[in-house]
Amino acid sequence: MSALFVMILTKSLITVIAVTGVYVLTGLTGMFSLGQAAFMAIGAYVSGICVVKFGIPFPFAIIIAILAAVLVGMIVGLPTVRLRRDYISLITLGFGEAFTALLNKLTKFTGGAAGFYGIPKKVDLLVVAVSAVICIALVALFKNSKYGRQCIAVKSDELAAKAMGINVPRIKLTAFLFSVALTAYSGCMYAFYVTYVDPSLFGWKRSADWVIMVFFGGVNSLSGSVFSSFLLTGLPEALRSFAQYRYIVYAILVLIIINFKPNGLFGEFELTPKGISKAVKKLKVKLGSKKGGTDNAA
Amino acid sequence: MQIIIQVLINGIAVGAVYALIATGFSVIFNILKFSNFSHGALMTMSAFIGYFVVKATGWPLVPVILCSMLAGGTIAVMGEFVAFRRITKRNTSPIYFFVASITLGTLFEGIVNTWVGANFFAYPAFFKNSTVTIGSFVISTSDLIMLLFASAVLLLLTYVIQKTKMGRALRSVSFDRDTAYLMGINVTRTIQFAFFISGSLAGISGVFLGINYTLTTSLGSLVVKGFIASVIGGLGSMSGAVIGAVLLGLLETLLTFFLGTGYKEVFTFLIMLIFLLVRPQGIAGSNVQEKA
Repeated sequence: MSALFVMILTKSLITVIAVTGVYVLTGLTGMFSLGQAAFMAIGAYVSGICVVKFGIPFPFAIIIAILAAVLVGMIVGLPTVRLRRDYISLITLGFGEAFTALLNKLTKFTGGAAGFYGIPKKVDLLVVAVSAVICIALVALFKNSKYGRQCIAVKSDELAAKAMGINVPRIKLTAFLFSVALTAYSGCMYAFYVTYVDPSLFGWKRSADWVIMVFFGGVNSLSGSVFSSFLLTGLPEALRSFAQYRYIVYAILVLIIINFKPNGLFGEFELTPKGISKAVKKLKVKLGSKKGGTDNAA
Repeated sequence: MQIIIQVLINGIAVGAVYALIATGFSVIFNILKFSNFSHGALMTMSAFIGYFVVKATGWPLVPVILCSMLAGGTIAVMGEFVAFRRITKRNTSPIYFFVASITLGTLFEGIVNTWVGANFFAYPAFFKNSTVTIGSFVISTSDLIMLLFASAVLLLLTYVIQKTKMGRALRSVSFDRDTAYLMGINVTRTIQFAFFISGSLAGISGVFLGINYTLTTSLGSLVVKGFIASVIGGLGSMSGAVIGAVLLGLLETLLTFFLGTGYKEVFTFLIMLIFLLVRPQGIAGSNVQEKA
């Protein structure tokens, strides 16, 4: 494997970790965060500063970073979970912009706009791949747990969920904090893989990209989200030869999917033995009906 | 004392531009009930169109703004056709609008990026004197023009929405799309009209922001101010958005004056957070509930 390929693969896997977080928030609960990248920044900067400036061992730094992100997520999330779902996207957008401004300003700790250099390289493809698998498994477990089902109920109909006795603000906050923790973890991975971070990496465009990835793959399908985050991270890299037009191509592609296949590429399909056998059965029925049609015609 | 009053006037002028952004955003929010995230990119795009019109013709400010308004409105209507028409017809969850608007924003930004690249541009100076002296106050001309123009546009908009037939149609479609359709209102045309208004407001605010700051492809990120203003004012309320925007402009300029620049974004975020804790329904108090 060439070095470039390994790099693209590792970066895609880091994106996959973040997108699993966004999946919990957007795919399961139906909330949108446009400041999710800021939580990635918290993960990256806090863990980096802990290791570089305070000499804290790497695993502890990750734990501190995730806790810090969850704490900040609590401050941002608490006022918003009681309100209409539009608010969370606007609040997180404001938060993301404010946080990047803060990173630019606190030059003493973060290096400001020039970026934060000299983070030791602690993770490689293997660590990232294992982490990605663990995160995907965690989210899959979450989806099938009591909480995951409550999240889906809240997404489909908040009022009905409330009537069924679900504590809506609490389940929203749980989903938000879980997704923040996952995203912060991906930030740690990013910082210790690339060894350099700067505030411009964590603007709202990145958060928006993640939301698009979740929708592209299928809002209801975790496998779809994982697949599309691979595809859509890899696609701009592959289109590098006509770099100028890649975002236009990308946007048109996504618009087509949203307009003509609103459930995304995968729909409800999950890449599990059960899901595959279901899909095969469906396919057989489809083929069977087609054959039946020609028979009738004959 | 005098300097404080000048800061206040500056704050109101800044607030007036935020008000244009916030109303443009809430027109769409009212009618289709989603946050239009392509608004910022549309601002950038029409600001650049305005810039190239100036470069090509050397016209004064007002015709340039009109061109930019027209361009913004036309692009917004085209965007509605490309991104939102099918979703409106399907009548499903508003989350698809949301994703479509983000994607449309990406598309606009991609087009602007390939068109102008990552360079910096500046509008030529439109005024001979950069300041005007009224009594003992010295006010920057661009602030004054911004304030006057924005007030005029907002008054005109209020008139159109409250008094004209099209405005009434707009309000009834915002209230209940299906019933409005049954009453014989051309819903599609009304939605197009709303997008045209929103786009032309984006055009004006884009030119003003371009005059106030440098013109770059990331100009559209200032749309956050409009979003924050409409959250403070109460989502979905247009008068609330204007009040929230002026308040935000004032607070921002005052805090910058007393505490220095740099932390401006942090202030605005904290202001919004405090507002949400104390009065989540916003100043106007029209808290649009999610339909069950």
